[in-house]
Amino acid sequence: MSRWGMVIDLDKCVGCQACIVACKMENNVPHGSPEEQKLKREVNWHKMITVTKGKYPYVRTELIPMPCMHCDHPPCVTVCPAKATFRRRDGIIVQYYRRCIGCKYCIVACPYGARSFNFTSQEEKPYHRKDEPLDNNSWEPWPFPTRTQGVVEKCTFCFHRIDKGLKKGKKIGTEVVPACVEACPSHARFFGDLDDPKSEVSKLLASRNSFRLREELGTKPKVIYLTR
Amino acid sequence: MELKYSTIEGKSKGYKTLVVILGIMVAMFIFSFLISYLKGQKVWGISNMIPWGQLITFYIYFIGLSAGAIIISSLSYVFKKETFEPIGRMAVFMGILLMVGAMFFVLVDLGRPEKAWRLFMYFYFNNMSSMFAINSIFYTGYIILMLIYLWLIFEGNKKLAAIVGTIDVLWAIAVHMGTGAIFGLIGNREIFFSPIKPFEFLLAALTSGTSLIIITAAATFKFTSRMIEEELIFSLSKILKIIILILLIMVFVDKLTHIYFPNRDATLYLFTGDYWWLFWVFQIGLGIVLPLILLSYSKTKRTKKGVIISALSVVIGVFGERAALVIPGTAHPQPFVSAKIEGIWGEPGIFKITLWETLLSLSIVSFIILLFVLGLRFLEILPNQTNEPVSAKTNSIIK
Repeated sequence: MSRWGMVIDLDKCVGCQACIVACKMENNVPHGSPEEQKLKREVNWHKMITVTKGKYPYVRTELIPMPCMHCDHPPCVTVCPAKATFRRRDGIIVQYYRRCIGCKYCIVACPYGARSFNFTSQEEKPYHRKDEPLDNNSWEPWPFPTRTQGVVEKCTFCFHRIDKGLKKGKKIGTEVVPACVEACPSHARFFGDLDDPKSEVSKLLASRNSFRLREELGTKPKVIYLTR
Repeated sequence: MELKYSTIEGKSKGYKTLVVILGIMVAMFIFSFLISYLKGQKVWGISNMIPWGQLITFYIYFIGLSAGAIIISSLSYVFKKETFEPIGRMAVFMGILLMVGAMFFVLVDLGRPEKAWRLFMYFYFNNMSSMFAINSIFYTGYIILMLIYLWLIFEGNKKLAAIVGTIDVLWAIAVHMGTGAIFGLIGNREIFFSPIKPFEFLLAALTSGTSLIIITAAATFKFTSRMIEEELIFSLSKILKIIILILLIMVFVDKLTHIYFPNRDATLYLFTGDYWWLFWVFQIGLGIVLPLILLSYSKTKRTKKGVIISALSVVIGVFGERAALVIPGTAHPQPFVSAKIEGIWGEPGIFKITLWETLLSLSIVSFIILLFVLGLRFLEILPNQTNEPVSAKTNSIIK
């Protein structure tokens, strides 16, 4: 079984935030009003944090894109009382909205702030990909467009794309990638099987210095950053 | 001396007005719940940064009060101290009501309360590694045990009541320590993460439970013109003083562990950030320092007034302690990277006190008080008026 992971090259990242826009388009994530953003209530599947290093004359600002880290030892899965969030066999952490009771324990337990509570019901929007029509009869956790308020949401690594791609026999990582990887204009993001030594991500990790966020917590994130 | 219990008549004007006012407040519950359910939890003060607010604060507070009340009730039914017998039934009854209240709080706090039954499908639909799921076993068992306990006490079966009471007290300890573990096991939140948290919760439960019993006993006995023995209040206050001292040590050790090593940002935020007053004024000031002074100072420690004021300050202070855990615990931004974060959620979150959340919590509190007042009317909870009546009988509002 493959173990999907993402590699983000911070050296190539230009901070255009196209990944965030692509994610919001692909998954119908509400963009959030300025008020919501002020109250920190917007839904973020993929967020971008701004980090400053140094003091005034010698200051550097970095933008670090942060999707869900899809940890190998996910604290959110341990604390979820309703089995609403679980780790698939391919390593993707999925949120199953039909099971979620909205206790918000996972938001408290997530070390990366990757989870958002859905405060308002969302309008149904047409799926923008005409080439891959949505299967409404599916009882899979894939939520779109039947999301309601009162549940917790998170990044899915676009597993609907991966699943469809695997069914069609396409190559994951080159032909089929998550929306954020597809949208990246500077090719800073790579997606693939971390267990496969021949995949592009494994080759990159073997050749470059890399780090993960908050490694000291032992969550083993599968989103890995290449250093600048 | 065999104590006999009776109901209150509930025919006075004061009693009826109280019931009506509480009834109106309970009706507000339905209204405010519908608003927050239909509109979504955006009408509350919570955000993605501070996902738990007022209702969870009340929830752990009420569980603490309940566990404290049950543990105090054991003094009369398990340890057979006759001094505490007049308040024994009341303590168990309060334990049940407060637990029911806590369950209401946590149920209402859920985003989809209609799916709460999933928590009780043990091992099938729920994930038993979650503290919430483990606690759901504790809570159900606790309520059942307390009902059996109260029934046995009403039946007068003292032998069995002692056995069930012992189990119930141990269970109450487990319940509240489990509630502490909800917070204590979260490794990424510095203020929460502590192996001592369950014990701290237990001691805070004991202090607040004892204080609430002192206050309720003094109030109900006064309003129903019953005599309360001063010895009872003073022995409770002695227990209270000792528990507050142990709580102080626990809080000190907990905060010292967090402040000693250089990664102390979150604890410094708790001490000096936006919510410093929750910690210093409520948790330390009202919850620990003021009652300790009042209960140690020779002029106030043997007066009823001094004891009741210190009990009140503990009840308020421990509520502040719960809030000082829940809100600053998540308000402090998480260090995603070891540099200053400016963008999304670099700054601490702000929790706003909003109308609907406050109304919801107040109405659940009044629901519990209403059940208590009705319980006094229909159940034999208070001891008979055979003791010497209070001299100021005309003062009594409720008969």
